[in-house]
Amino acid sequence: MRNAELKADPPSAAFALPGPGSPGSGSPSPRSALRTPRSAVEPLLLFEHVSKWYGTVLALNQVTLELTGGITGLVGANGAGKSTLLRMATGQLRPTLGKVTVRGVDAWDWHARKLVGYCPDVDAFYEDMSGRKFVRVMARLCGFDRREADRRTEAALARVGMTDRADRRLQGYSKGMRQRIKLAQALLHDPELLILDEPLSGIDPIGRQELLELFQALAAQGKCLLISSHELEALEKLTNHVAIMARGRVAAVGTLQQIRDLLDDHPVSVRVDVDRPRDVARLLLTMPDVIAVEVDAPASACPGSPGLVVKARNPKRFFTAFGRLAVEEGLDVRRLEPLDESAHAILGYLLGGSGRT
Amino acid sequence: MPAQTDTLLRYRPWRGTLHGPLWSALAMARVSLRLMFRRRLYWGLFALTLLVFFFFFYGQYLVVWITTQVADDTVPVAGMKVPIKDFTRFLDRLALNGTTHTFGNFIWFEGYVVVIVLALAGSVLVGNDFAHGSLPFYLSKPIGRWHYVLGKCLAIGVFVNLATTVPAVLLWIEAGLLFDWRTYYLDNLDLLAGVLGYGLVLTVTLSLMVVATAVWVRRAVPMVMVWMGAFVLLRMLGGWLADILGDERWRLIDLWNDLYLVGMWCLGADPATLRPQPQPAYWEAGLVVGGVCAGCLLYLRRRVQAVEIVN
Repeated sequence: MRNAELKADPPSAAFALPGPGSPGSGSPSPRSALRTPRSAVEPLLLFEHVSKWYGTVLALNQVTLELTGGITGLVGANGAGKSTLLRMATGQLRPTLGKVTVRGVDAWDWHARKLVGYCPDVDAFYEDMSGRKFVRVMARLCGFDRREADRRTEAALARVGMTDRADRRLQGYSKGMRQRIKLAQALLHDPELLILDEPLSGIDPIGRQELLELFQALAAQGKCLLISSHELEALEKLTNHVAIMARGRVAAVGTLQQIRDLLDDHPVSVRVDVDRPRDVARLLLTMPDVIAVEVDAPASACPGSPGLVVKARNPKRFFTAFGRLAVEEGLDVRRLEPLDESAHAILGYLLGGSGRT
Repeated sequence: MPAQTDTLLRYRPWRGTLHGPLWSALAMARVSLRLMFRRRLYWGLFALTLLVFFFFFYGQYLVVWITTQVADDTVPVAGMKVPIKDFTRFLDRLALNGTTHTFGNFIWFEGYVVVIVLALAGSVLVGNDFAHGSLPFYLSKPIGRWHYVLGKCLAIGVFVNLATTVPAVLLWIEAGLLFDWRTYYLDNLDLLAGVLGYGLVLTVTLSLMVVATAVWVRRAVPMVMVWMGAFVLLRMLGGWLADILGDERWRLIDLWNDLYLVGMWCLGADPATLRPQPQPAYWEAGLVVGGVCAGCLLYLRRRVQAVEIVN
């Protein structure tokens, strides 16, 4: 079964730098042209029935996923297969079964990596090197000549806010600085697809906000970002698109709203603040999708204010019916808020726990 | 932050042509050499190789000078007249006369230092990438796994050639200048080709061995143990077995001796002039060296296919 396709946010920047795989990057050799990533016709990243075994352990199980753009959050408990999935997307791992392609080119093939920037979760650098040197080396590995490598290095360092600290040795860097350096090396060749494994881990709140803005700016330039993170709140600020992994499978993919709607087994909880809550509760209970109504439940935002918490199946139908009821009965609805559409709640439902990853 | 730096990353579109992954392999080799020579130990060991070179360089000059300038002169020692030639007799064993054995001996002696350096450098150059997880950074760039191996092999090859082939070529040039240079250079072009061939054999074999063993054991101490086992223990064992059992083929387990034999084959040396005697045939040594290279390649192929970074 193919998971829901993630549609790209519309690229807003028309001045995007031509990447290594793009027409402006010069003419490739005839041999490489055969495998040079193709145009936007092919999905940017495509997993087709991918399975991966580590010995007898099944790390990924029949994963099918397609990314075309925008920011996608990848969430799941430890050991769910997130890192394995990311490593396959970057050609670090080869699937045991199935196929992973980047713009139609096998992700295992080095040509595909022209389009991919990877910020791994490990931060094992050459500790003797300075941050600037490390990023410059990575730029040379991308195939840039010395001058261009220097220019790209400075630009990438500036982009992650490390210009003034890049001459220090890596061994003296804090966790946050290491994250920024990793991010800088991933941005060097201006890749179409950015795969970031726990990029916010160890970053202070101000730095986190800066990086979130950077990710949004990159997405606005038409980049596709696949971000694995345990920081669900930060991820929610960044994107509404998530892929939820559980036990080696992509349990759900789409917007949080779409995923919530698919969870028929778990009735949506909606906070409704109205006058005459008991009367409204009686009316609500006549609706076919309403399972239960809790009256006089105090709102967390304004304690003391009476309200209702409605549990209903099929949220879409419920909200339509509730709108009609409010108009017909002239209800003065002061507040209507779904209580369990957060990533935490959805994860809790899907993974059978608290939602903590 | 992004608003300020957006302009930096895109102040002008890049219209250049990306170099291919082979170019990246060169960049990787450069970085690897820098990593290696950042440590003073390697400079010290490299100085040792230079010491051996200068010994041969000035030794060759001395021998030729004595032979041509003061051939029949004597020096009084404790009241006895001793011919000057006798003072340099200990150098005869090294054959410092610009012949096949000059280069064979030179590379043989340089080999001791080279082997020590490579044993220590394997973990720095390759093992750490696997042990500490730096590999994802390399392999996330547009290079293939074989380009990674090539980059590392190039770094090792540069060191091996700096310690063996390049000084051997300098010795060849020096020998030509000491004798009649026109005759020497023209008559001994095959020697130069032999030196280059010997260097190539050393480069290919040693670089593949270093990468393969470093991928296998990763850490410095086990790497040194494996390396010393291959080049010291097996050498001693091969010598004993050949002497006790009277079968020179036992020397084939001594890899450095095999490389020496293949090198002397390249230099066109008469097998009967090699020491110690008896020695296995050149082709047998060639088979062993080829087998070792093939084994390393097969192992690397398996490992490279399975470069799967699992923490």
